[in-house]
Amino acid sequence: MSQPLVEIKNLTKVFKIGGGLGLVSRRTIKALDSVSLTIPSDRAAITALVGESGSGKTTMARIILGLLEPTFGEVLYKGRRISDWLKKNRMEYLREVQPIFQDPYSVYNPFYRVERVLEMVIKKFRLASSKAEMREIISKTMKDMGLRPEDLLGRYPHQLSGGERQRFMLTRILLMRPRLIVADEPLSMIDVSLRSIFLDHLTSFKDKLGISCLYITHDLNVASYVSDSILVLCHGRVVEAGPKDAVIEDPLHPYTKLLISSIAIPDPKRRWKEKTDLTSIESFEKLKAGEGCVFSARCPYASEVCKEKVPPLQQIRSERKIACFL
Amino acid sequence: MESESMSVLEVQNLKIYYESVWGSYKAIDGASFKAYRNEVFSIAGESGCGKSTLVDGILRLVKPPGYIPEGRVIFEGTDLLGIPEDELRRIRWVKIAYVPQGAMSSLNPVIRVEEQMTDAMIDHGSMNKEEARELAISMLKEVGLPVEVARMYPHELSGGMKQRVIIATAIALKPILIITDEPTTALDVIVQKGILELLGSLKEKYGMTVIVVSHDMAAHAQIADRIAIMYAGKVVEIGSIHDIFEEPLHPYTKGLISAIPAMGKKSIKGIPGLAPSPLDWPQGCRFHPRCPYARDICSEVEPSMKEVSPGRHLACHP
Amino acid sequence: MSELLGTLKRRVSGFISLFKRSLALRVGVALLLLLIFLAIFQPIIDQYRLEGHEATDLGYFEKFLPPSLKHPLGTDQFGRDVLGLHLTGLKFSLIVGALAGSVATLISVCTAIIAGYRGGKIDSILNGVTNSILVIPSLPILMVVAFYTRLDLVSMCLTLAAFSWPWSTRVIRAQVLSLKERTYVDLAKVSGENHFEIMFAEILPNLIPYIIVGLGFSVIGAIFAETGLRIIGLGPTTVVSLGLLIQQALQYGLLTQKRYAEIMSLVLLLMSIFISINLINKGMDEAFNPRLKKVTGE
Repeated sequence: MSQPLVEIKNLTKVFKIGGGLGLVSRRTIKALDSVSLTIPSDRAAITALVGESGSGKTTMARIILGLLEPTFGEVLYKGRRISDWLKKNRMEYLREVQPIFQDPYSVYNPFYRVERVLEMVIKKFRLASSKAEMREIISKTMKDMGLRPEDLLGRYPHQLSGGERQRFMLTRILLMRPRLIVADEPLSMIDVSLRSIFLDHLTSFKDKLGISCLYITHDLNVASYVSDSILVLCHGRVVEAGPKDAVIEDPLHPYTKLLISSIAIPDPKRRWKEKTDLTSIESFEKLKAGEGCVFSARCPYASEVCKEKVPPLQQIRSERKIACFL
Repeated sequence: MESESMSVLEVQNLKIYYESVWGSYKAIDGASFKAYRNEVFSIAGESGCGKSTLVDGILRLVKPPGYIPEGRVIFEGTDLLGIPEDELRRIRWVKIAYVPQGAMSSLNPVIRVEEQMTDAMIDHGSMNKEEARELAISMLKEVGLPVEVARMYPHELSGGMKQRVIIATAIALKPILIITDEPTTALDVIVQKGILELLGSLKEKYGMTVIVVSHDMAAHAQIADRIAIMYAGKVVEIGSIHDIFEEPLHPYTKGLISAIPAMGKKSIKGIPGLAPSPLDWPQGCRFHPRCPYARDICSEVEPSMKEVSPGRHLACHP
Repeated sequence: MSELLGTLKRRVSGFISLFKRSLALRVGVALLLLLIFLAIFQPIIDQYRLEGHEATDLGYFEKFLPPSLKHPLGTDQFGRDVLGLHLTGLKFSLIVGALAGSVATLISVCTAIIAGYRGGKIDSILNGVTNSILVIPSLPILMVVAFYTRLDLVSMCLTLAAFSWPWSTRVIRAQVLSLKERTYVDLAKVSGENHFEIMFAEILPNLIPYIIVGLGFSVIGAIFAETGLRIIGLGPTTVVSLGLLIQQALQYGLLTQKRYAEIMSLVLLLMSIFISINLINKGMDEAFNPRLKKVTGE
């Protein structure tokens, strides 16, 4: 197998909060704990990173985008460390790795018109040699996306709807043609009826343009619809990884099983069978760093060893990995 | 599912308008529906359809420049829009409980949970501090929270726990009707299931009517008995949850159902176009610009709500 | 950067719409424009009225003339036309305010943006500097500086600015701290913008309301400080500001001479400057936060 596009080895990110003058005690939060994942380069794929709040998924996105630095571990892009890319070949790296953020409103600077986000990348990455060419490229790309330039150009962000703004972000991606999109919950702030257009575009980017995507979400419904493979993140650790169909239909890790059984399926014929025990869904037990499996507090199968040792991520069958002592 | 008994809440042709610099903003333009005892009644719709405004209207929380030009809200035989303020106060919390959107962030961070719960109970119920305290503790148990929570401060609790505290306080006085607006946004999947199940259980345990307002169709699918679909300030379809999902009649409902991603679904289809703005509702049927079945009459005459079969209401030209 | 200028030009029409939103803003701006107009045209007005002489020339007219059509405020003990004198005073006060205020605001904005955005050590150092100056009792030091050195207009303004810039810095820095977390800053970073571009092309434009308010306070603060110096008798006598005129009024006992018109005129002019700027500040707040006035019913 050729060198993977993205390879993450034992990535750990620790945040320190509080402190200052030493009057307030400092707390450390381990957002990510020895996370490893690989995104292949031989074919374009959409990899879903699924996790709840606090799982560290946004932190992961920010590290890959270069907005945050890892505490330990290596994050490699095409075999080179990202910190190396950013120091020596920053523009080349950014040309290939681009985000789609969650909030389609605050991603636009309210002082400027919306097309500025496109003009910015055209200028910075020298995608046009003159102003006229720039306008042409913008117009053409918008039409390729199914947007009408005369409707949207010249407007300010608050004049567009959330769906339009997010599609405009996709236009930016189309303009740049990166190798990898890091999408952080891109649909959570758009209406349901507009989501399919967005997802269809992502899929066509993959199929027609070979653009891979790391799709970060808490919504397994969407992940199961759009992704090729799924990674499940829990409290900063990867607990299961594998091809989408396998993980959804045959989840192995207890956390994955719990997650899947908890999703609200939009079909009144497929209602939840087992009731969640309200006293068990959340607890005050703070997990001590490094001690035991992250899920042990809630796991119905937890045993002594689970509370003491951290289960490593192991390959079980072809292409499937889980981190569990069962 | 729809019993013949008298409805607990009946909204008749409710209209809520706002006066603004840019003109008259018809947020709700004639909404009608009925909710019965012992059921979970859902109000669904996307952003901008006016569902939260509708709730404001029902509870008489509309503030100027908003006003209610027309309509009746009949609760247990009385029109809530016509009674004096103090009578309304006596009904609020005791008979009708309301959990607004983002209620979890409205907990006062410097007052202990217990006190916030008992304050509300003493205010509206007629009990002393001791009784209120006991009630609070038992309510916390009802929602599955450990008793220690009572003595804690809100910031020490997670989102799901705070929401459960809010629900516990809301049901403490055993209201007949509880209205919740987006009860599960910003909560994790596993916690969401717990909260939704909790809301659904209220009808069996206490015979309450639970009205859930949310854009999350999957949530409705899981716990609702009947559902009303809203679009552009109007109710376009009402029916049992099974009927609506299996045989949606209104084109918007059809589009909505087919747009939801679900595990196992192979393809989803969106609805082209954009939701209209309240300042400029389309002429005739408000959905006609986006409707694949639109005919001439749809752009001229607004369809009225008709009962097309028992329990099934639809606002669409046949 | 040229897109910044283009946007700014187009923003002028946007600004005009702000006026519609606030009465305070309209009144404040109108008043200030009137004062500025008087100050700018003061030399011409005086040329016309005073037969080619400067208002400050001594002994040209008869002394102690009461108010009349030719001398609406009369003449003073040196035979100077009082109205011309006061207009000159207005001009100089406004100049002092504008110059000292602008310099102070410039320093303050740059410091706040750099400190807030870069954070870390740079922030600590700049904060230390800012706080130190805040703590220094500025008036006594100003007095010492004024006493021992020959100040002229520019050096006085710079000195005033040097002590007043920290006041707006905190507010602006706080806003910068909040703005730098916005998603559009992240987008700018991944689009390849460097720190300088982010600070001044992304964050700065969104600080404009705060900068204007800061400028308002700086201008008023500078005029206040200058007037304070004058009353004690310090400051360059070539700069005939309203403060200097007030000091002369005290020195020559205008109150006991019952020259009320002159006193009222000075007070009114000074107050007008303060009121107009304060109204503009209030108006900016109203214009940018329309929620304070009315709810538009979303």
